[in-house]
Amino acid sequence: MIIAESITKKFTDEGAPITALKSVSFEIKKGEFVSIMGPSGSGKSTLLHILSFMDRPTSGVYTFFGKSIGELSDADLARIRNREMGFVFQSFNLLSRSTVYENVEMPLIYSDSPPSQRRSCIEEAIQSVGLSEKTYTEAGKLSGGQKQRVAIARALVNKPNVIFADEPTGNLDSAAGAQIMDILEKLNKGGHTIILVTHETYTAEFANRLIRLKDGEIEVDELMKKHRINGEGFFK
Amino acid sequence: MRLIDSFRTAVAGIRHAKVRSALTMLGVIIGISSVIVLMSIGASAQNLILSQVQGIGSNLIFVVPGATKGSRFASPASVQGVIIKTLVKADIDALRREPSVIRAAPEVRGQARVVYENNDAMITYTGTTEEFFAIRNFEIARGRSFSASDNESLNRVAVLGSEIARTLFGEKDPIGKVIRLKDLSFRVVGILEQKGIGPFGVDQDNLILLPILLAQKQLLGIDYYNSVTIQANDAYIIEFTKGRITSVIRQNHRITDPDKDDFSIRTQEDALSLLGNITSIMTIFLTSIAFISLIVGGIGIMNIMLVSVVERTKEIGLRKAVGATNGDILQQFLLEAVILTFAGGIIGIALGSLVVALAYFALQQFLTTGWIFILSLNSIFLAVGISTLTGLVFGIYPARKASLKSPIEALRYE
Repeated sequence: MIIAESITKKFTDEGAPITALKSVSFEIKKGEFVSIMGPSGSGKSTLLHILSFMDRPTSGVYTFFGKSIGELSDADLARIRNREMGFVFQSFNLLSRSTVYENVEMPLIYSDSPPSQRRSCIEEAIQSVGLSEKTYTEAGKLSGGQKQRVAIARALVNKPNVIFADEPTGNLDSAAGAQIMDILEKLNKGGHTIILVTHETYTAEFANRLIRLKDGEIEVDELMKKHRINGEGFFK
Repeated sequence: MRLIDSFRTAVAGIRHAKVRSALTMLGVIIGISSVIVLMSIGASAQNLILSQVQGIGSNLIFVVPGATKGSRFASPASVQGVIIKTLVKADIDALRREPSVIRAAPEVRGQARVVYENNDAMITYTGTTEEFFAIRNFEIARGRSFSASDNESLNRVAVLGSEIARTLFGEKDPIGKVIRLKDLSFRVVGILEQKGIGPFGVDQDNLILLPILLAQKQLLGIDYYNSVTIQANDAYIIEFTKGRITSVIRQNHRITDPDKDDFSIRTQEDALSLLGNITSIMTIFLTSIAFISLIVGGIGIMNIMLVSVVERTKEIGLRKAVGATNGDILQQFLLEAVILTFAGGIIGIALGSLVVALAYFALQQFLTTGWIFILSLNSIFLAVGISTLTGLVFGIYPARKASLKSPIEALRYE
């Protein structure tokens, strides 16, 4: 269970104070697929950074599966990110000179799991995104859609509670984007909680809940009616 | 993070940027190979100089006229060109009666032009006694040395160093030939074995040895000695013998106040220790120059690592996002620097050793001074240690900079 209570985040940008989030509160239950939307500067990326333990709120209480961010050290936050969270980024963030296997292995090397026990987890994660035949290909040689699937495999390899996806289809064509969203949807159906940040309505509609931000405040928080019927949908 | 994973990650980082890694190592390779070469030159020079001092004989004590004020390394007045006439035959006779003295050879020296037929040369001649040959390890290659009776009878005989013999006689046999020195004729009775350059740069192959009485009376017109070389009896400790010699000469010269000594005594150990000091200073000096190049190499590493940290900002952000702590990032970048400098050190040692080996073969072709190159295990261990330490010291700043990056800022970096 993710609980955000009156989360406020303030920055200074070249001396000018900015309030990126203004007393934002909500709960996300295990197994939900939540889209966070909003125009540029609405605070959606800031919210994602706080939810994923990469940043701390200026005030308010944020609890991730019983662990409150205010009580944890930076090293604790890193450990929780490693064991309980998975990340998918818009620009993939793969090590292009390393193989798919090495990229997917990365979270495991920070989890202290012995190298001998990693292989099966890595291969399973690569298989789940349909890239088994590319296991030992350099990541830089893959297409955009394949790169994002590698990134999803990397996000899955530690079997996290929550997957955070920040504009995962932003750099992809619509066919590749559809594949990625299908994978995320399947993962959600398999029990993973997914928190997706996007500015694309058709991507957001894969989720079952939408949180729309405007000027650092929640404008809309509602359950979604699925637009896709029997796998037919927007990407055609 | 396990150390093996840190190591693998660091090696992958190095492997994925081969040119950058090679450039990073270059400074260390040059620094370490210069440390190896210069330490080797220092050690070889030390070895050469010390073996020259030891080569002049063993258990030697030198007596020169004139007092030495201050340190035992200060030079006596006679060495500085002041003529002091106090060291005379009575001193030698008294010293020869000392049980701690095996042999004593007085010496007088002068410079003159030596002529044989159309050949001539300026040389230093030494008047001495037959004991000199045994004391100073001067072996006769051909002919004979002069004897006590040659000395007493004022026979005009001469023993030539190998080089001056070649200069005057070329391929001819010098034995029995007559040379002229200050308008006096001397019959060559012996040629010395080649001996090379002695300590303090004295050319031991370019001298002419004459009976001392003849040299004193007919060449120099003096009745005192320039120095006395004594071979001490090794049944006594050298300091005891030195003490005995001091008291014998004081007694002869009627000196009661040690501050008024008119002579100085040096042992071979004094010379060894003086030369040892000089060569040690030289080695330290040479090695310091090499270390400066290593520091420059280290700064090069720091620069390239800093660029690498900037270049890999996104990677750092990603690693932090997926769970790397500051310590993990610090460890990875530091390990990269240490692996690079360690590898650079090993290559530097190989390169330095190669240069030393080539120089050894080259010097063997052109020099006859017995210069041998020494590559000590110590310098190799020191080089590996220093290069690794360079990586640690100069890698820590970039590594720390990398570890303190905020994951959000790092991921946003374009």
